[in-house]
Amino acid sequence: MGLRKAAFAALVAIGGGSLLFDLTLTFRLPSDADWAEAAGALRAAAAPGDTVQIWPAWAERARLFVDVLPVVAEEDLRSADYVGVGRLWVLSLPRTPFFSAPDRALQARGATAAAEQRFGALSLRAWDLHAAPVAADLTRSGEWHEVDYVARDCLRVPIGGRFAARGAAGKMLHLRAGVIGERAYDADRPPIEVQVFADGSPLGRLEVPRTTRDGTGWRRLDVEVPEGATEREFVFAVSSPDRSRPFCLQAWTTR
Amino acid sequence: MTDKALARAMGFGTAAAMALTQASVGFVRDEGYYFTAAQSYEAWLQLLLHAPLQAIAQTERYWSYNFEHPGLTKLLFAASHLVFTTWLGILPDALAWRLPAFAFAGLLSYWLCILGLSRSSAAGVLAPLLFWCAERTFFHGHLACFDIPICALWAGVGVAWLRGSGPRLAWTYGVALAIKHNAWFLPPVLAVHALLLPRGQRSAALRKLPWLLLSPLVLFAAWPLLWHHPLRHLGDWIAFHLRHVHYAWWYFGEVLRAPPFPIEYPVVVDALVLPLPLVVLLAAAGISLLLHFARLRPDPQRLLELALAAAALLPFVIRTTPIFGGIKHWLAFVALLTPEAASLLVRVSPSPRALLVAATATLLPGLWQIAHVHPYGTSAYGELAGDIPGAATLGMQRQYWSNNVTGVLPWLNTHCPPGARVYFHEVNVESYRTYVRMGMLREDIRYAPGPEQADYAALQWHREFRDREPETWNAFGTRRPATGLYLDEVPQVVVYARPTLPGAP
Repeated sequence: MGLRKAAFAALVAIGGGSLLFDLTLTFRLPSDADWAEAAGALRAAAAPGDTVQIWPAWAERARLFVDVLPVVAEEDLRSADYVGVGRLWVLSLPRTPFFSAPDRALQARGATAAAEQRFGALSLRAWDLHAAPVAADLTRSGEWHEVDYVARDCLRVPIGGRFAARGAAGKMLHLRAGVIGERAYDADRPPIEVQVFADGSPLGRLEVPRTTRDGTGWRRLDVEVPEGATEREFVFAVSSPDRSRPFCLQAWTTR
Repeated sequence: MTDKALARAMGFGTAAAMALTQASVGFVRDEGYYFTAAQSYEAWLQLLLHAPLQAIAQTERYWSYNFEHPGLTKLLFAASHLVFTTWLGILPDALAWRLPAFAFAGLLSYWLCILGLSRSSAAGVLAPLLFWCAERTFFHGHLACFDIPICALWAGVGVAWLRGSGPRLAWTYGVALAIKHNAWFLPPVLAVHALLLPRGQRSAALRKLPWLLLSPLVLFAAWPLLWHHPLRHLGDWIAFHLRHVHYAWWYFGEVLRAPPFPIEYPVVVDALVLPLPLVVLLAAAGISLLLHFARLRPDPQRLLELALAAAALLPFVIRTTPIFGGIKHWLAFVALLTPEAASLLVRVSPSPRALLVAATATLLPGLWQIAHVHPYGTSAYGELAGDIPGAATLGMQRQYWSNNVTGVLPWLNTHCPPGARVYFHEVNVESYRTYVRMGMLREDIRYAPGPEQADYAALQWHREFRDREPETWNAFGTRRPATGLYLDEVPQVVVYARPTLPGAP
């Protein structure tokens, strides 16, 4: 009898708790007015070099409202490049289920936060990334491609082709590359190699193997640029026995 | 009210509920194909009425389309459309095609009620209610597809096996066979069930088993494609399913593309998409049936329910069967647990009033899910997943089958200039034509094959199709959507418009 009563009570409690969770979910989500207020605050505070990061990365309804700054949906805040971004506005929905605050990941990369602003169920906080200033954005193209499920401002280069760009040498060259879309997962495909030259001298090479695990398809190479001319010609030669996959790369130098 | 009358009332009530709530349900990708098949089969039916010999001679011409699924349900879709739309003109096309699906939903309620009534009247009423009070199951009840029909026959074959005569079993299993290939798994289940029964019942059951040999006659009769070159067509049917492609499926932040799939996958997905009280009750029912099985003299009905539920799930835990489609491929697992779940609900309630409280507490979250999410059933998640936003954070499949596009059709109808080209992404051309035919989409709006050729794009959010959005940005020169369908903030369908066109931001 005791067990029966306990089961009855547990069932009613689970049902009631579930319904309460469902009915209160709306109050934990932003309204149109919240979004509009946050967008207004961004409009007032926006400066060159600012970018908005939405969090969680699925909160892309922000794109309907944020009209003055680029909106990005990086999934790994700790290692995302944020090329040329000085100040990152993190626009988040902290009351959503399983929300994990972005603070720790951003602090781990040396970013520092300003005061948080609240607009109903939205949180807005500016982060200074303290990133090394960009010397030259070598692949700036205005094109966007998805690699590893994140939209990237990268340049499509055919495998077997090369891309050359002249720009300030800076201290470091940064290269990112990957196969666009689902073809990154094509089975039994050989790796793709990107060889980098600065004024004709080899600077490094990046291998892009077939992606087997989500989150590993956007490959990275960071190399020091040797002393020399302040401006160089950088060449990126892309090769692979299999030329059928769409491939893109992003490269820039920092001071 | 007699037991059968109560079961019939549950069945009619279910079918009526589906008919009354179907208008807003978008046409899923597969329905597009089945509607096309039904049109071809309807043409054959008309030929059959006017020139029977010619129709019999030309079955392959009309029936080769969608050869990968048996004919019965599509024949019913076609016959329903022929009668109610073509001849009588009293139903719109989609409703006429879907009408037989509602009948199967009603049959499922009928048989679940029958199984529940063997425990108590209350269990008879609650069993179908437990099944349908969740948006995922409720949504599937509306579609001119095979998932609910085969689920219904899964239960129906069980009832026929337990209570019916040999001919009735042969007929019911034949209908199952003529609906979907899942039915191939049923004879071994029945054979194992017979062998596990006590000696007296065992021999009676084993004597009934050979009746199943007659069932393929129903398959043959209901599938005119088999009337010529049956072995070749049977071979094509079987081969299609043995070599079925694996569609990408997002699961806890990983896109699953190929075997081996996680062994726990179907059970976990059930737990995440269904309302939590139902999940708890179904889990308890599963345990209860297992405990019965462990007894020396298990109750034949409970043993069969356990076997049928397990058989519905089994193909998806062997780690190589394609897993796409949410829970639709193993709906019978949920269905066959509901009679026991209903019985448990009755047993834990100390009085009729307490039963009302417990039933209300169990069913209300599911009813809320339906009220809140319908008709976007493939997007529904339960409380364990944190509802739709929680599931998005966990990295679960956002939607499938493209039917959520109905959420943005009114906007497109309002804003698109005459003759505008729209890239509908996952919406296939068959479903697009049905939206136009049903007046849900303006007929001058054209179907564009990609963003480059489009004025507007309605992108369905799929993890594996994320490349489509940047492609659209590049083609349109903007990264700001014009509108979209967002469920609890989570993007489902995002609409872009070329700058300067009406509706562009």
